[in-house]
Amino acid sequence: MTKGSDRAGPGDGLGERLRELDPASDANDRERMDKMFENVKGQCAESDKTIAGFFRSRSTTVRRLIVMAVFAALGVIGWYNFPLVDESVRTGPWVATLLVFCALLIIAMMMVTHPVHRPELPRWQVVCLVCVAVGATVLAAFWPTSGAHAITHEHTSRMVAGACMGFGLLLGVPVYALLRLVDRGNAFGSLIAAAAAGLAGNFVLKAQCAIDTTGHVLLGHASVAVLFVVGLGLVHYWIPSK
Amino acid sequence: MGAYIDGSDQAFRLLFERYAPILLRLTRRHLRSDELAEEIVQQTFFRLHGARNDFRRGSKLRPWVMTIAMNLVREHWRRKKRRKMTTLEVETQAAPEPEFMPLEIRERSILLHAALEKLPTSQREVVELHWFQERPYAEVATIVGTSEGAVRVRAHRAYATLKQLLVSEIRGDE
Repeated sequence: MTKGSDRAGPGDGLGERLRELDPASDANDRERMDKMFENVKGQCAESDKTIAGFFRSRSTTVRRLIVMAVFAALGVIGWYNFPLVDESVRTGPWVATLLVFCALLIIAMMMVTHPVHRPELPRWQVVCLVCVAVGATVLAAFWPTSGAHAITHEHTSRMVAGACMGFGLLLGVPVYALLRLVDRGNAFGSLIAAAAAGLAGNFVLKAQCAIDTTGHVLLGHASVAVLFVVGLGLVHYWIPSK
Repeated sequence: MGAYIDGSDQAFRLLFERYAPILLRLTRRHLRSDELAEEIVQQTFFRLHGARNDFRRGSKLRPWVMTIAMNLVREHWRRKKRRKMTTLEVETQAAPEPEFMPLEIRERSILLHAALEKLPTSQREVVELHWFQERPYAEVATIVGTSEGAVRVRAHRAYATLKQLLVSEIRGDE
């Protein structure tokens, strides 16, 4: 068996008994192996033709660079085409919130692109990230970044919250799609991508929405992350990916 | 592996012929189903194909394929657990031993399988890789994603438990 101190396996007859479970069997069955190989080859050839196959077969570094480049491009486009919140709202807490969202987004991206030849990430890490991501968006609602509340009328505020939610969900979809595109099949890839999509939506909303009343942020911003995680979590639960 | 990364079909076939039987034995013992084991092995090579550009030329491929296979096995069990499979299903799936196996050996084999299944997954994985696949502790640690010390502790505990479970049988043999 194994060498040196590694040799120290079970003694007292257990080793002999365990060996009984290790017959050569028909594992070398040529015909079966050929059939399996043809199946694998077919699957690989089919995958190589798809866009997802192209992205997933890039090295981990390249996949991460692709995601970062897309995020950066989206950021630049957003910066120049959509107005940021007023300068009076760009306070320390506002910047801190954006940085937290950004850091969590990068962590999520690193987890989604985790190489498949490494032991999979422990479930607690995934649960932690998802909880922290959703928690951060909820907490942001209770941490007003400015004293100015642009809208005080409740009815209008609700409508604006609905618009923010729709906008956030719309923004999250491409982020989710991009992360799924570079995900080689990590066990919780869908859930992490959902959390990342929620974070991306919240990042943009925080950068561009001047209303920071608790109700509005909860209803219009944090709900984006909650909907992504709960919605896609349920989809993943009931219809697990292949 | 280098030739395979460069796109050689022949190299892919050689890799498959070399590692598929090893993986098949590894996964069969975990899954107790030929069909599932074949599926996992094929999926392992499919993932290997996708991850081939991550491979550093000159490094060992065996820990790679084994880690991918073990990840897939764990994922399979997690999904199975999620679907709350009934005990009946487990029983019907168990022990796909060859029919020509003598009754006594088959019974012993069932007992051994039952003892192995009583081990926690983390310990069973270590026994599987260290004893059956003859991998050194350092490599087992890389595959299961923990330290070598932790792997040694798991192996020690697993063998102690197995000895306890099979004590009467082993004594009977002597």
